[in-house]
Amino acid sequence: MKIKVSSFASIAFILSGLFMLGGCEKHDHTEQENITTIKLLVTGPGFDQTFTWNDSDGPGGNAPVIDEIVLPASTTGLQCAILVSDESQSPAVDYTAEISAENTAHLFTWTVSGGASLTITGADQDAYGKPFSQITNWVTGQSSTGFLNVKLYHEPTDKTNSANPGGEVDFDIAFPVKIQ
Amino acid sequence: MSLRHHAALTAACLLGSVAAARAQHCHSVLRGHITEGNQRDPLAYATVFVKEAGKSTLSDESGYFEIIDLCEDSSYTVEVSHVECAHLVQIVRVRENTTFDFNLDHDAVLKEVIIVEKALAPAPVQAQAALGQADLEATRGTNLAETLRKLPGVSVLSTGATIGKPVIQGLHSNRIALVNNNVVLESQQWGREHAPEIDPFSAGKIMVVKGAAGVRYGPGAMGGAVIIEPEPFRKQDGWGGWVSTGVFSNGRGAVLSGSTDWHKPGSSLVVRAQGTLKRSGNLRAPDYFLHNTGLQEYNASAAASWRKNRWEFESGLSSFNIQTGILRSAHVGNLTDLQLAIESDTPLNNRNLFTRVIDRPYQQAGHLTSRNKAVLRINDTWKLTGQYVFQYNQRREYDVVRSSGSASTRPQLSFQLWTNTLDATIEHQPVRHWQGGAGIQAVQQTNFVGRGGLIPDYHSLGGSVWLMERWRRYPQPWEFEMGARYDYRQTSATSTGSLNNIDTLVHFGNASGTAGVIYHFSRHISMTFNSGLAWRPPHVNELFARGVHHGAGTFEQGNAALTSEKAWNNNLSFQVNSDILTVNLSVYSNHIRDFIYLDPQNTFVLTVRGAFPAYFYKQANAVLNGMDGNASVRIGKSLYLEPGFTIIRGRRTTDAPTGDWLPLMPADRYQYAIRWSKPGGNKRESYIRMGGTTVLRQSRIPAAGLLKPAPAAYTLLNLDGALQLKAGEKPMELGLTVSNLLNTRYRDYMNFFRFYADEPGINISFRLKLII
Repeated sequence: MKIKVSSFASIAFILSGLFMLGGCEKHDHTEQENITTIKLLVTGPGFDQTFTWNDSDGPGGNAPVIDEIVLPASTTGLQCAILVSDESQSPAVDYTAEISAENTAHLFTWTVSGGASLTITGADQDAYGKPFSQITNWVTGQSSTGFLNVKLYHEPTDKTNSANPGGEVDFDIAFPVKIQ
Repeated sequence: MSLRHHAALTAACLLGSVAAARAQHCHSVLRGHITEGNQRDPLAYATVFVKEAGKSTLSDESGYFEIIDLCEDSSYTVEVSHVECAHLVQIVRVRENTTFDFNLDHDAVLKEVIIVEKALAPAPVQAQAALGQADLEATRGTNLAETLRKLPGVSVLSTGATIGKPVIQGLHSNRIALVNNNVVLESQQWGREHAPEIDPFSAGKIMVVKGAAGVRYGPGAMGGAVIIEPEPFRKQDGWGGWVSTGVFSNGRGAVLSGSTDWHKPGSSLVVRAQGTLKRSGNLRAPDYFLHNTGLQEYNASAAASWRKNRWEFESGLSSFNIQTGILRSAHVGNLTDLQLAIESDTPLNNRNLFTRVIDRPYQQAGHLTSRNKAVLRINDTWKLTGQYVFQYNQRREYDVVRSSGSASTRPQLSFQLWTNTLDATIEHQPVRHWQGGAGIQAVQQTNFVGRGGLIPDYHSLGGSVWLMERWRRYPQPWEFEMGARYDYRQTSATSTGSLNNIDTLVHFGNASGTAGVIYHFSRHISMTFNSGLAWRPPHVNELFARGVHHGAGTFEQGNAALTSEKAWNNNLSFQVNSDILTVNLSVYSNHIRDFIYLDPQNTFVLTVRGAFPAYFYKQANAVLNGMDGNASVRIGKSLYLEPGFTIIRGRRTTDAPTGDWLPLMPADRYQYAIRWSKPGGNKRESYIRMGGTTVLRQSRIPAAGLLKPAPAAYTLLNLDGALQLKAGEKPMELGLTVSNLLNTRYRDYMNFFRFYADEPGINISFRLKLII
């Protein structure tokens, strides 16, 4: 009776040891992919500025830091390239190249509101000739203020419907705009 | 009956001559069922003769027999005989009121077995609902929550039709315990979308304990417990088992399951192997396919049991693995997407086609349990049990991601949970009419989040001690039970991810208790009252969560200052159990102090995906009152009417607005069915049943309102039946189950996917079970 108990107990002990070993292996976290920062590189004749929307600690915690877009009035020939990255990791991870590589599955939309005198049109296309809008042409009018909303859609179902292209929103941010 | 009984008692005591150590107490009863064969069919009109007492009786139509006025602490030679079966002689030691079931074999060799002990299995003092054998067979192939859905007091919290969690009297997730073969399931049960990793095919019996079950099952059983027990090991020598297969029209799914036992001849060793395979594709709502709702599941288990002298050993290993597709339309980016989805009558981004391919987004979960038990029968009265259990749970969620990125081959959320549990229990048979036991338990748990940051890593240690005693003295109509337990849990949480830098030690300790009484009006009618105290510590997600819950369109934040929930549950039940009428009725009031819930803040958190309404974890007092029950009324010889209902009212009693209804409480539900059963049936009966379920619109919703109004009331009709046949000598069962017979279009309040799509339409399934 005694032998039975101890051999049974030792088997159980060994088994438990084996299982616990499994728990000691992978103890390094892999960072989650996140978009934390969107940069608008606006260039044109005599103009070169970058406007950033940044929430590097992710949702919650510190509020996002949002630059105000200040543009000269009555200007044409401005172009904007949008850059998307994750600054919560170091080094920062850039996603722009990945998104452009899959441009048929992505769409950037630009919506001006609140009375700002700013017109934005797409300046590029995806591999099928449909809108992509990672590069856009900007034209400003008179002095005014308002908002610019930028969205990135993933797997949109109708790229020609910029109000509701379908798919999922990867980011949906707003900048205050001042034309002066 | 009691007057006659008293007279007989007096007469027996005066005239009877019994070979006994102590002859003064001779009012014990030996009763039980006579059954035959491996299927244990009831054997009517078998003669039961107790030699030393010179008494005999015949078993009735259900095999039941009763011999009264036997002496306590005496050995009796019991002879059971029947014209069709072999004679059976067994020596039974009668303690107090003793129940023993005698099983006769058609071709049995005469055996003389000395039974050392066999006392009465106590009637439950808590409200319970057991799944009948026919209902268990009719739901084979569905998941655990679906199997339990029709029991009174039970509802389902679901995320689509393939992911469901049981809700017992309004409580779910961390507030109920799932006990599978005496092992409390330790998994990521805090998650609303995390279904239990249990295979209902491995169950021989499923029962739901309603109300505070903390004394027996620990701090995870504040609201109740689901008890799943396997079929008992094969008693005869040789091989035995069953094979079952089923096909389902909705999802074009199939399931195959089997179990085989081998009892080594001339030994006590029994070995069992069991497995289940299940595969199905996109489900279909009445008007469209639900894209990406396929699933595949494979489970296997092995167990062995053997005895040596006074020792009994049991060892088992089981593995559960499932991959579930998440409805493509349910995957939304932000609140605007969610609003668009809510306003649309049909699911957005849906593909209206059938496929078995499971694409992102999907869930994958696996669970491994290793169970080792040793039982020592110290003597006729005392029994010592030790059990060591190891559980490993792994759960991953795969989201829709850019296919060229490094994320495309990896999960977006990955959890691993290791749990070691050690139990020691001492139990005793009635000693001066008291029966019960005490036990201690030690638990160690480690959680690791490989990817994603919803909850932190943690190490947890805990210990518990409990005691439970019951008083019973036949023929007194009263039974009393009381129990107490103390648990201590300590959790050390850490997270090195940039989103959640915490390093905290929390600890909780609390007592639970139960007190109950049963009053037997007669052999058929009884009433039970149970009052229980139970508790539960806050889980790491309630303490430390911080992030967007995309599916719900909310930003949720934990509260590290939360304390334990403490519940006081009072439950009154009424049972009638006769050939013509069966009734189970329960009314309860559950007061929970410091109930943890998500409180809307009326502020928005701005994130890269837009603004999400903020919800913070808070605690306040709450009360859940309810009533549930079912009945079976026999009309004529073979027709039965089966009504049932479940009603619950849950509200907060402190914190503004006081009296606010709790969110996600099941709506009122009424069930009704008419069944025709082949008369004389017991466990294996041929029957056909037509029934319906009516669920009302949930009008009791929190003052803050809902993102989408609660869905309209609906009624579903269903049809099920089984035919018992024989394939040669082997029993065979053919079954048919049709759910949502009229292909009704509906949405259910407790289903998160009600924002996006309708529930599945009609589902016709056929099953075949062969006993080998």
